[in-house]
Amino acid sequence: MSHKPLKLIIIAGSKGRVTVKYPYQEPLITPEFRGEIEIDPAKCIGCGACVKACPPNALELLESEKEVILRYFVGRCIFCWRCIDVCPVNAIKGTRNFELATDKHTDLYTLVVHTRTTCEICGKPFETTRMQRYIAEKSPVTEEYASICPDCRKRLLAEAVSARRVGISEHKE
Amino acid sequence: MLNLEETTKYIELASKSGGQAKIEGDTVFITIPPDRLVDVADTIFNKYNTSFRVCAGVDERPLNGHFSLVHLFTDDKAGLYVAVKTYLSGESPVAPSITSVVPAADWCEMEARDLLGIEFTGRETYRLVLPPWWPSNLYPLRKETPYNYRPEPRLESEKLGYSREYGVIPLGPYHPALHEPEYFELYVEGERVVDVKYRGFHVHRGVEKLAESRMSYQQVNFLAERICGICGFVHSTCYALAVEKAAKLDVPERAQFIRSIVLEVERIHSHLLLLGVAFHLLGYDAGFMHIWRIRERVMQLAELLTGSRKTYGINLVGGVRRDVNEEKKQKTLEALRELGREFKNFIEVAISVPQVKKRLTGSGVLPREEAVKLSVEGPVARASGVNKDARRDLPYAAYKYVSFKVPVYTEGDNLARVLVRVDEVFESISIIEQLLDKLPGGSILLTDFEIPEGRVGVQVVEAPRGGDIHYVVTGKGAPYRWRVRAPTYANIPALRVMLRDQPLADAPITIASIDPCFSCTDRVVVVRDGRIEEIKLTQLVK
Repeated sequence: MSHKPLKLIIIAGSKGRVTVKYPYQEPLITPEFRGEIEIDPAKCIGCGACVKACPPNALELLESEKEVILRYFVGRCIFCWRCIDVCPVNAIKGTRNFELATDKHTDLYTLVVHTRTTCEICGKPFETTRMQRYIAEKSPVTEEYASICPDCRKRLLAEAVSARRVGISEHKE
Repeated sequence: MLNLEETTKYIELASKSGGQAKIEGDTVFITIPPDRLVDVADTIFNKYNTSFRVCAGVDERPLNGHFSLVHLFTDDKAGLYVAVKTYLSGESPVAPSITSVVPAADWCEMEARDLLGIEFTGRETYRLVLPPWWPSNLYPLRKETPYNYRPEPRLESEKLGYSREYGVIPLGPYHPALHEPEYFELYVEGERVVDVKYRGFHVHRGVEKLAESRMSYQQVNFLAERICGICGFVHSTCYALAVEKAAKLDVPERAQFIRSIVLEVERIHSHLLLLGVAFHLLGYDAGFMHIWRIRERVMQLAELLTGSRKTYGINLVGGVRRDVNEEKKQKTLEALRELGREFKNFIEVAISVPQVKKRLTGSGVLPREEAVKLSVEGPVARASGVNKDARRDLPYAAYKYVSFKVPVYTEGDNLARVLVRVDEVFESISIIEQLLDKLPGGSILLTDFEIPEGRVGVQVVEAPRGGDIHYVVTGKGAPYRWRVRAPTYANIPALRVMLRDQPLADAPITIASIDPCFSCTDRVVVVRDGRIEEIKLTQLVK
């Protein structure tokens, strides 16, 4: 019988102990590690781009008459950081935090509350105040209709088009 | 790359059978009337010696009023995909079964019957995927069925099989090998296994329906990755490549290289995991501990390259999300050198341990003919002398730029399956080194592109367990139909051959030797009838 299997003793001896004394020692994570995300409430404009990109619906937009709430539920999060990729204002930051256990379930939620504007014409609740400001800054030409909801915009456009068509036919005559 | 002579025989076959053929990229799409399906499948599978991968039923009624059934073959010698499509009419479509000529089509036909209500003539039918209490007229993959509809479950316990002649030993539904829900019922005469029944699909999660109903193209990458906890990156790459093929996207080379690198890291990780589990099952726990110690380095390497130890989350349609810089490249090369040295030192010791060697040798034999007949995949096929590997035969990502050996053994026993994996670990290390050396510059992600509707993409990616295939029909903002077949789906039927006439004590290691991944296989529920009377088995209602 060969003595080869006994070489394991040499391997084991030379390796020694490989487990670390976590949590008393630093965990073995690399700088690349993707952990929990942090949303900066001062920067977030409530546009919902992250909600659309989020594969497991960990980010949701809860809408009421007065407010739009961006809710992050870490219990569903898969730490893909797609939200960070798509956020237009860099309001979301990735962290290396993975120690997420808690005895209070409310700790698992992060809320960003946004106030809502109303449509200038019909008065229905419309986008967030910050979103409106953001659009006006990015594209000044939208100023005229930035405070009008999409339904009213459609109606105004349809009215304008029909008026013009009438005008053309009159001109032809 | 495409061999014209090879494609002509398929075009001739199609026109001879009263159908049409069209070639797009590396795929031959053949459309034939249902009555010629068996002849055509017979010619393609038995005469042209192709491998049968899977069949997919598609509910095309919203598009053209028909159901369709697509049988997917790959001509590994010519590097061709062959998709044979038949249109089936009516609300209760009927298709001829091809199991008489292609035995490997057994499961996928029954899955199409369960999920789409396509009936098959010329074979015995049974319920495979859905639980027994599921309403008989409710077909989850038909477009009118809402993805979130839940029929009221009826809890009924399934009974253990009964046999007058043989002893019945239940193995499962929890962890005969890899701690996942699957159930084997072994019929034994003394210590010898005489028959096996498999009951799986306890964890069918309906990911295909979910992706088709409420996700977008880019979100599905992350869902695909969660089909499997071990070869997740294979699934997301396979999905992304299939969509890219359908939309004819020109993905940056650098992205393809990074995909290949990460795929090989995942293969090393998966093989080390399985070798550890095999040693554990053989009672060699020291070996298990040491191989998992070595594996830990691969996990850290994956985290360095992708940001996550598992379910890497870096694939998107159009490229990847994390780049490999010079620092990462050096760290990877260093990690691989040490990994290769440690693995070589250790595996020589482990394979020489007498109990390991004796129990692996000659147990769980799968003869070559059975391997071909059942179209088994990956290391299971390569250990039985079937020389197939999608990385070489149907090159994808960046595999055409590297040279590597495909280890093939002819014994077909558990030892051969273990040795195939040992050899592959060394090959994978060499592949990553070559890829890092040749890594081209440029961008890693395609940003501006459109995915047209109604296109079809078929892609095979060689997972650590064998060929994984994804079939995508593009739709509006999301796949119209997405069919996934994991390699274990093709390998489980071979277990019946491997376990028969073997000592009972070898059953766990034989089951583990195919490196089964049941959650992959199930995705969304099997009664296998052998020589013994009908049985009912346990249901897990989720």
